[in-house]
Amino acid sequence: MTLLQELDKIYFFMKRDILSFSTYKTNILLSVLSALFGALSYAFLGSNAQMQSVLNSYHISFTTYLLIGIAFNTYLSQSLTLVQKTINPWSLEEVLVSPTGLVTFIVGSSMWGFIWSTLVIAIYLAVGVFAFGVVLSVNIVGTVLVVALGISTFIGFSMIGAGILILTKQGDPVTTVITIATNLFGNVLFPPQVMPQALQVISYFVPQYYFFTTIRQVLTGATLQTILPDLLILVLMCAVILPLGYFVYSWCLRTAKKNGTLSWF
Amino acid sequence: MKASDDYAIVTHNVTKTYTSKIRSPERRTSFFQRKRTVTAVDHLNLKIRKGELFGLLGRNGAGKTTLVKLLCTLLPPDEGTASVNGFDVVKQQMQVKRSIGTIFSVGERGFFWRLTGYGNLEFYASIYNVPRSGRRDRIMNVLDLIGMKDNAFQVFQRYSGGMKRKLALARALLPDPPILLLDEPTTGLDVVSSRSIRDFIRNDLSKKAGKTVLYTTHYIEEAAQICDKIAILQKGRLIALNTPDALKNMVKKSEVLDVIVKNMSPEQVNTLKGVDGVASLAADVQDAVLGQTHLRLRLENVDALPGILDFFFKEKIKIVNFKQEEPTLEDAFIELTGRGISE
Repeated sequence: MTLLQELDKIYFFMKRDILSFSTYKTNILLSVLSALFGALSYAFLGSNAQMQSVLNSYHISFTTYLLIGIAFNTYLSQSLTLVQKTINPWSLEEVLVSPTGLVTFIVGSSMWGFIWSTLVIAIYLAVGVFAFGVVLSVNIVGTVLVVALGISTFIGFSMIGAGILILTKQGDPVTTVITIATNLFGNVLFPPQVMPQALQVISYFVPQYYFFTTIRQVLTGATLQTILPDLLILVLMCAVILPLGYFVYSWCLRTAKKNGTLSWF
Repeated sequence: MKASDDYAIVTHNVTKTYTSKIRSPERRTSFFQRKRTVTAVDHLNLKIRKGELFGLLGRNGAGKTTLVKLLCTLLPPDEGTASVNGFDVVKQQMQVKRSIGTIFSVGERGFFWRLTGYGNLEFYASIYNVPRSGRRDRIMNVLDLIGMKDNAFQVFQRYSGGMKRKLALARALLPDPPILLLDEPTTGLDVVSSRSIRDFIRNDLSKKAGKTVLYTTHYIEEAAQICDKIAILQKGRLIALNTPDALKNMVKKSEVLDVIVKNMSPEQVNTLKGVDGVASLAADVQDAVLGQTHLRLRLENVDALPGILDFFFKEKIKIVNFKQEEPTLEDAFIELTGRGISE
């Protein structure tokens, strides 16, 4: 056993990983994009002096703003990957040969994830209320409505991402783009109003903006009438994204079946 | 297409082609690839009667697994039609799925390793529409049937390879389907476990329960022992279809020699193939350490024997063992495909 032999082995371990990694081209591109846009989000959060003055228009403290944003972002992040988690190639084939419909499969596979996420949110909010004095005045009907719309929209995104993942096998651009859009334009960690005007406009085209704006309002006492304009836009976006997600997911599944790549990793 | 009432599985000109990417050896990454097309199943026509235990025999890559996947609706055919239990595999997928139980060649796939055997079957019983009221009884009955009742509440990851395969069989049996598609159900198992699974399929599933079984394997003797009928596939094409005895009879009139020799090179094996009177020859390594090769020769008639022995003598090849035998299914396989199954 010489040093040269050991170095040779290390080289081949590395070569194995590089060759394997290079087969997932989409994943490489998405990792680079995530890093770039992630840095941008935190730059906006940390450096903008206008933050407090903008937050005054929300009539809530920065702690309440951040707590609700982070808690429900966890929820949406979970929703975004729920369908992806169900497509383990080995168990996917076993389920697909059973007389089980696609909707049952997706809903059934996602259910526990939602229940667990709800428990996590409850912990977040409880810590905020009891440890940091956050004051919440929950509009229950409004909250249920907004959460249902948010989840449905994100399930739609998740199905699009999962569908693409079935074809690309690792790294779906949808999940990365949605995560970037949520962090930058979604009103999660900072209000879009602190960004340059040109970037603010993008916020109005992403459903996350309407979800986070309305969920903060209904959790701090706003009535349905107050949030109606934003809520209607969210309904409209959900009505487009959810069926689109189902269509993309089933199309990708059919394509993978046709190509015989369903059980590939 | 509607199958006759007598047939459980019918395929008509079924074809499936795959396109795969091949990495060029001189390139370092997968960014540089070219495409290759492989016809896995090639205009296949099969009719499997209800209640038949039907063996599908072929080397790796012959198209056995692709055919199973076509029949269980996981792959759509590129050409042709196929029906299972009278239902079209493309147009009536849900009815096909209700008619079948499937085992894929990797038996433990789809199981949840941290759940018990019972917990796994309970999940699959629900997605296979086993009624909730009788679900527990059904699971325990199936576990009893495969001899795993005592291990029902053991965690799956603690099961041996044989137990995992048996549980896969139990999963396929849960909905009590009339048709079973079993893709190499004994691959990788020890002799005892394989025999126990084979006996169960032959005696309990086929003879007693009257189920139609499509059984793919590349173990020739396994197919010969249990199957009513055998189809031999080569490169996706059907090259023979008959009962095991009828297939053996194809080569019955000839002489078969089973010979073990020492230090025989691949070139010498090729030369032997050309010796007068040698109808077919299969060779595989018997013992790499001792340099022993196992030869299975089919002769056109007994008159060819002196020429063969003369070849061994001239080439200075030492004969370790020499037997004259009745032709087997393997000889039929060699005759039909030109090679042994392991070559």
